[in-house]
Amino acid sequence: MIYLHRREELVVVKEKQRRTAPPYKIKAVEPIAMTTRDQRWQAIEKAGYNTFLLDSKDVYIDLLTDSGTSAMSDHQWAGIMLGDEAYAGSRNWFNLEEAVKDIYGFEYVVPTHQGRGAEHLLSRILISEGDYIPGNMYFTTTRAHQELQGGIFRDVIIDEAHDPTAEHPFKGNMDIAKLEALIDEVGADRIPYVSLAVTVNMAGGQPVSMANIKAVSAVCKEHGIRLMFDATRLVENAYFIKEREEGYADTPVRDIVKEMMSYGDGCTMSGKKDCLVNIGGFLAVNDSDIYQRATQLVVVYEGMPSYGGMAGRDMEAMARGIYEMVDDHYIAHRVGQVQYLGQQLLDAGVPIVRPVGGHAVFLDARKFLAHIPQDQFPAQALAAALYVDSGVRGMERGIVSAGRKDNGEHYFPKLEMVRLTIPRRVYTDRHMDVVADSVIALYEERQKIKGLEMVYEPPTLRFFTARFQQLEKWEI
Amino acid sequence: MPKTDNREEGDWLEAEPFRIKVVEPIRRTTRAERERLVEEAGFNLFSLRSEDVFIDLLTDSGTSAMSDRQWAGIMLGDEAYAGSRNFYHLQEVVEDLFGFPYVIPTHQGRGAENVLFATALGEGQYVPNNMHFDTTKAHVEHRGGIAVNLPIPEAYDPEADHPFKGDMDLAALDDFLKENGEQVALTMVTITCNSGGGQPVSMANIRGVSEICKKHGIMFIIDACRFAENAFFIKEREEGYQDRDINEIVGEIMSYADGCTISGKKDALVNIGGFLALRDEDLYQQATVWGVLFEGFPTYGGLAGRDIEAMARGLEEVTDEAYLAYRVGQVRYLAGLLDEAGVPIIKPAGGHAVYLDARRFLPHVPQERFPGQAIAVELYIEGGVRGVEIGTVLSGRDPRTGENIYPELDMVRLTIPRRVYTNRHMKAIAETVKRVYQRRDGIGGLAFEYEPPVLRHFTARFKRV
Repeated sequence: MIYLHRREELVVVKEKQRRTAPPYKIKAVEPIAMTTRDQRWQAIEKAGYNTFLLDSKDVYIDLLTDSGTSAMSDHQWAGIMLGDEAYAGSRNWFNLEEAVKDIYGFEYVVPTHQGRGAEHLLSRILISEGDYIPGNMYFTTTRAHQELQGGIFRDVIIDEAHDPTAEHPFKGNMDIAKLEALIDEVGADRIPYVSLAVTVNMAGGQPVSMANIKAVSAVCKEHGIRLMFDATRLVENAYFIKEREEGYADTPVRDIVKEMMSYGDGCTMSGKKDCLVNIGGFLAVNDSDIYQRATQLVVVYEGMPSYGGMAGRDMEAMARGIYEMVDDHYIAHRVGQVQYLGQQLLDAGVPIVRPVGGHAVFLDARKFLAHIPQDQFPAQALAAALYVDSGVRGMERGIVSAGRKDNGEHYFPKLEMVRLTIPRRVYTDRHMDVVADSVIALYEERQKIKGLEMVYEPPTLRFFTARFQQLEKWEI
Repeated sequence: MPKTDNREEGDWLEAEPFRIKVVEPIRRTTRAERERLVEEAGFNLFSLRSEDVFIDLLTDSGTSAMSDRQWAGIMLGDEAYAGSRNFYHLQEVVEDLFGFPYVIPTHQGRGAENVLFATALGEGQYVPNNMHFDTTKAHVEHRGGIAVNLPIPEAYDPEADHPFKGDMDLAALDDFLKENGEQVALTMVTITCNSGGGQPVSMANIRGVSEICKKHGIMFIIDACRFAENAFFIKEREEGYQDRDINEIVGEIMSYADGCTISGKKDALVNIGGFLALRDEDLYQQATVWGVLFEGFPTYGGLAGRDIEAMARGLEEVTDEAYLAYRVGQVRYLAGLLDEAGVPIIKPAGGHAVYLDARRFLPHVPQERFPGQAIAVELYIEGGVRGVEIGTVLSGRDPRTGENIYPELDMVRLTIPRRVYTNRHMKAIAETVKRVYQRRDGIGGLAFEYEPPVLRHFTARFKRV
């Protein structure tokens, strides 16, 4: 472990650590357009103060998501040229299957076009009307698929996860008492599986400890309940275990990943995150019955079980990405870059969700814009202001994302955040400096940012397409 | 267009309107190897490794060779989650070519079908189609709907020579909508009609379907997987279209419909991708909700930006008449070689495949001994050619009686990927089929050694009887 960490409260800094550079060099670039402040004002007006509606070409540093936005390696691009597009028996499929078995350790693999395809299959196979699915905080598409099958999601994450300032090394942990209480309440036979996300996106990319995984697994075994991982960012989680949990400092990330997965019965995976690809995902399980049913369903929704809605070349890129993602140097740099941005903001006193997670820095918009009431959309306003200031595109994760209750009132979520999500291997630390400077400058003149009012609201998933305007004149 | 005199044994064909820029080596195997490999695969060609196949005619879906311009597009992927420039390009091309202003990209055709039926089909409702493709039917049924096929009667006659054998039976559609109007979610027409052998649908028929749907107030959606091949047949065969541009013909086809689903893996000349295109904004808004759930955010829909770019560029290429003449011509060339040799095929040849008529090919093998499967196995052994059985094995069993369903046609489909194989490959295929046909009397049937409970054709194992 040789990356510079300034998070003394969590990490015992080993002597004087030297700074390191990324463990890769740049082989191909994609030019990005520089815009003027006037152009950005026009663009955000046109987009109705919703960063989702900005054209990619008008964005300087795009931190909307880390999903599908990674830079692939030359080795992966070479794999893109080796696509075997045969409908059946493609060599790329055999490579992918082998990579998943090798690194994750599950018996059976069903490819899907991306993570939500795998979630759809899993939910459809295992959930019956009225079942309960305990999880460590919801994720939008995961919960939507559970509910589509008549399932009821129950959040059993530890309380600290809902407090943006609570320092906890494994803030994504499940609360074992809450899990057991749910089992007592509804009975193990109404719980088709426990869904354990590593890391927890909505809590700020927070990890789960190995001890917690073991404990959850033990409870599941005792009651005969399956444990399914949402393994989307499992390598980032493994890296936090290596860094923070006793006994793992000298264990290669690859082995930690294998151990984590060994406590579960399967996983859904969005390859667009840790597998370092732009498209792809899979469902992996140990149970041959689930596998058989998944192969039947995958044909309907995704594609033949030997390609699952992916081009052969994309399976090859994912197979190669799976080996690259468990490289200790790569993952140290990856998580280190997120910490690097987070630390600059912490040092400047900007309110962010702590500790900094594995894939994103979350600005605490309630504190940042304390003068704007939540129903004037402070996170939405902050994301828009950040774009105007520097062309940086973040994402609102607050009251707009939370939507409305059945009675038509807003949900008022505890966390009102702007997510700055760092794509993998795409931006340099210089880009991170620009982001930090812009956020800090805005924080200094935060009083000049005012609230918004919603002028168009779609009936569902409003955060994607809602439009806003200034409630009173901004002075930035 | 210039016609080069490229006579070879009495036939001529224009040379391809492209040259080869990148190749993928294929391995020749010996007959002894193939005997062993196919036995290991349980006499099921789906279980063969791709690398053990010399000429792969399993499908034309996702197997096209992209152009250099498409590959350049692959390098121009804008992988932004929202507002990718590749999406805007696709939207522009679709609106330009099809006239539909709203586009939802999906990872492939079945994704578009899933989004469409989630939006527009209710439990117990009907969907009439000229002939449902198998995934389309599966989606209708998964939603609790009822798939109804209403083709003209000639569609089921392998020897009937009809220029538009994919046509819908208009009188039957009118009657059906009259009787079940309330309970019909939407009408579809599949162009070309894949399940009927890649047979085209005439413009007059599409216009007729549209008028009937309008009369009854029913939505009309085109399954447009092979829209360009269909347009080419219209130009070639339908009166009044000989001097029309393919783009215009495509535009006219779509002008009669409320939207289309499409698998880009066929006529958009890509390895992955599809979309749902719609005319109505409200319907589009409803569809985006399902699109997000099953596919991805509406500006990428489960596709990498690069793949959206390749699809947009493929749509710009596919309506080129010289390309379509080559494409349909190559399929016809193979069909001609087989017909001359007296091999029983479905006539006329469709746009994307040649179908062997297995029951006439092996009249001594009863349907319960899977004549189509037996021929497909022999084609592999003879020449390393992988076709696909479209017959009794594929049809499966009746879930109530447990008996085999015996389809009217037992066939082997030889599906030609786009821009992948040369006519020399076609000759090798024809030679292989001819040789198998010559020794047909010595070919026996097959029986199951292992039969999976559903979708048996993918993983079944057979033994020789």
